[in-house]
Amino acid sequence: MLYSRPQISLLLLVGVALLGGLVVREWRAGFPEAAARLEAFDRDEAPTAPGPVPVASPRPSRPPPSPLTRPEPDQRPGSTARPEPVADPRPLDLNTATAEQIARLPGVGPGLARRIVEERQRRGRFDGPEGLRSVLGVGPRKLAALRDLVTATP
Amino acid sequence: MPSSTLAAIPPVLRAPLVPLALAWGAGIAAGTTLAPPPRGLITAGALLLSGAALALLRGRDRIAAALVLSAIAVLGALRTHELPPPRDDVAAAPVDGPVSVEARLVEEPRRWAPDRARVLLDVEAIVADAERRPASGRVLVTIYGEAPPLGEGQRIAAELRLHPPVGFRNPGGFDYPAQLRREGIALVGSGRGDRIRPLTADAPPWPARVKRWAVARLNAELPEASAALLAGLLLGERAALPRETDDAFRRAGAYHVLAVSGFNVALVAASVFAVLTLVGASRATTAVVAAVALGGFALVVGAQSSVIRATLMGLILLAGIVLERESQLPNALGLSGLALLAWRPGDLWDPGFQLSFAATAGIVYLGTPARAALEWLRWPRGLASAVGVSAAAQGAVLPIMAAHFNQLSLIGPVANLVVVPLAGAATTVGLFALAAAALGDLVGSLGLNLAWALAVLLRLAVWLAAAVPWALVHIPAPGPLAMAAWLLAGVLAATVAARWARAVALLVSAAGAGIALWPLVAPDDGRLRVTFLDVGQGDAILVEVPDGPRLLVDGGPGGGARFDVGERVVAPFLWNRGIGRLDVIAATHADADHSGGLAAVLRGLRVGEVWENGRWGVGHEDTVAALERSGAARRVLAAGQRLRLGEATVTVLSPPGVDDAAAPLAGENDHSLVLRLDWRGIALLLTGDLTARGEERLLVGRAPLAATVLKVGHHGSRGSTGAAFVDASQPRIAVVSVGARNPFRHPAPEVLDRLAVAGACLYRTDRDGAVIVETDGVRLWVTRWASRRRDELPVAPDDQAR
Repeated sequence: MLYSRPQISLLLLVGVALLGGLVVREWRAGFPEAAARLEAFDRDEAPTAPGPVPVASPRPSRPPPSPLTRPEPDQRPGSTARPEPVADPRPLDLNTATAEQIARLPGVGPGLARRIVEERQRRGRFDGPEGLRSVLGVGPRKLAALRDLVTATP
Repeated sequence: MPSSTLAAIPPVLRAPLVPLALAWGAGIAAGTTLAPPPRGLITAGALLLSGAALALLRGRDRIAAALVLSAIAVLGALRTHELPPPRDDVAAAPVDGPVSVEARLVEEPRRWAPDRARVLLDVEAIVADAERRPASGRVLVTIYGEAPPLGEGQRIAAELRLHPPVGFRNPGGFDYPAQLRREGIALVGSGRGDRIRPLTADAPPWPARVKRWAVARLNAELPEASAALLAGLLLGERAALPRETDDAFRRAGAYHVLAVSGFNVALVAASVFAVLTLVGASRATTAVVAAVALGGFALVVGAQSSVIRATLMGLILLAGIVLERESQLPNALGLSGLALLAWRPGDLWDPGFQLSFAATAGIVYLGTPARAALEWLRWPRGLASAVGVSAAAQGAVLPIMAAHFNQLSLIGPVANLVVVPLAGAATTVGLFALAAAALGDLVGSLGLNLAWALAVLLRLAVWLAAAVPWALVHIPAPGPLAMAAWLLAGVLAATVAARWARAVALLVSAAGAGIALWPLVAPDDGRLRVTFLDVGQGDAILVEVPDGPRLLVDGGPGGGARFDVGERVVAPFLWNRGIGRLDVIAATHADADHSGGLAAVLRGLRVGEVWENGRWGVGHEDTVAALERSGAARRVLAAGQRLRLGEATVTVLSPPGVDDAAAPLAGENDHSLVLRLDWRGIALLLTGDLTARGEERLLVGRAPLAATVLKVGHHGSRGSTGAAFVDASQPRIAVVSVGARNPFRHPAPEVLDRLAVAGACLYRTDRDGAVIVETDGVRLWVTRWASRRRDELPVAPDDQAR
């Protein structure tokens, strides 16, 4: 006999491992989206999926807080920097839209639209798309999808 | 020695190094806690040793052995005595403001956020006025912003701000300066990346280079989270692990697989053994190669005590094979403990050291009885063995997990039955793949892909275990008395084989559990207690109303790239007070220094209600997500509301329900919740970050501002706490919640003057640590936790005047 039984077992194990690795690699290359979803199953935030990443819109974004200084309130960008709607169709104004209009947004049903309008009545008006986060049913993923489609005029 | 006498000796005494290590460790513990004078120790040691010699001459062997062991303990205590630092030590003359130093990196920088890295430096010289003065000492520095590439062993010139370390001084809090002192670090500080000039090239020694290459290889082949998980499994490098994954491993009681320990070392040795044996190498050759592999592995992953413990034990066992002598696990454990504590006595207090040794001792001493007990219950053999070992290790680390992390994992013993084999498979495959990747790309890539699949399976198992309700409960850290009781019970059970000893051990450990869990059931003392926590620059205030509800106002700074005070300070403080459920959290406003820490509190405790101002802007998604997930009822408050909190009443003074066009609110700070709490004539006024403008509105609206205890607005900023407001409030006690050396120069001297002139007793968390105000309605007691001083004052000193 060329090999002993334990040696054959080891070689078998190595072979199985290599084959397994090959299968996984092919599967990951063939179904990148499924692999990305699997990879992110326990993450809170939306995965940075391979594919078209929404380019930063001209939304006024606060500068990231510098490590040593917290921006004092008066240094924050005020309401003078208004988002300039560039994309057509124009973003929907959360503060004037009806529940029916809101319900036409992708991923928003009549129930959620009603809750958004209720939230608007409760707080008077939205200051920006981020306000949607306090509505039940709008998570980080939904907000990211809606952010460029809506606006909020004071 | 004939075998019959050998069998009569209890197992622990057959391992002579174990009592030696225990005595040495006990000496170190006594030395660091009691700090006895070295002269007394030397005298005591000399007396003990001469006593031992006398006893030996008289033929009293037992007494001689006991005396020698005591002398070893005295030597251990002596080992902890710190010599005064050399005259050129950086800590000898601390400089206020930036100082130019030349220093060498002791280890690889730790990057904990994209623009922040922590480096441990050996200072070589201080440069002042173009004059280079040699210096010594170790400093731990956080580098902000873009920095040149840095590596172990590199020499740099840098402009740093250095200061003595200050921890967060709260009841039950972790003593950060003491830990740094044990590691020989005298000063901490910060520096800007662009003010660092490399003096030598970034050319680390080969172990660091291997580690860098391995992490880069993992990241090149695999997606982020899995690469981070594998870096943790294989190399103990878990800095890049996503928070959710990290949390899940903690909840599942499986965090130990992410630290390099005996588990990895055993896998390395076993893999080398399996391969070489099958190739046909001799036993001695195999052992030598395995020893070399272990040494190399330990150098690459770094010198944590768990790695050293496991490597030393592994080397001792391998040496036994080469020398064809039978080696004993307990003796190997004792020797590695002794060696480690002789080299680095401070490690005794390191959680990693304690967990590593406790788990191994648990397996060595309790594994067999646990398995026997399960087999007696007619469990199948294999299962009994696996569960027995797992339960023994988990049982032994339980007090340590509770003491350092307040954690008691209930799912752990079950989860580990799946997690450990999966982690073992992923680690083995990953290590082989990395070794193969060094030789050729293809095989390495296939192996890493297989490791990825295993890592995802592992994450899935951990995630499922973590999702079980009550998987993890948080308990107060057991005190030294409870820990001593458990240690005594463990030693008794391991050394005395008699039946009575087991019964006593059981009783003693039950008593320990009783002492440890007492805070959970301790009766209420009928006082209103307000704790202004030391959270650095930020607010976190716990209000405990007698016989009932607990209200947490703000959760300290946290979130994003910051040090999360909510996770590290506020939640542990609450757990240590025996609080697992908060009735109400009030988030005064969304700013990160007030609400940043709340996400961790919401994740770690059950919360009934959250009071908020309804304005969560950009950058607080994490807090809002934690809020939604917690299931707490949310209430947006507005002026005029009154809420009951047990015997106390909470009145909302601000923000106004409708934006008043006449006096529009200036910024987020003016949207702060302002709460007034009344209990038996005592009034507590919490103003968040309200500015003078908001105060004016309260004054105009004739809000009830007179208060016994005032939380000074906006950390004592110049723009708050105006003269009219102080006049109206007339606080007896004013507390400023503020961080030392904050960049905003809070608190402003004029604000403090104003309050002092109005007759308020001033307390501030940057100097006093946590400020605890207690009252029974008649008297007030204020405790400054940093100095443990307690002041007593009557509620109203000038009753007639009012």
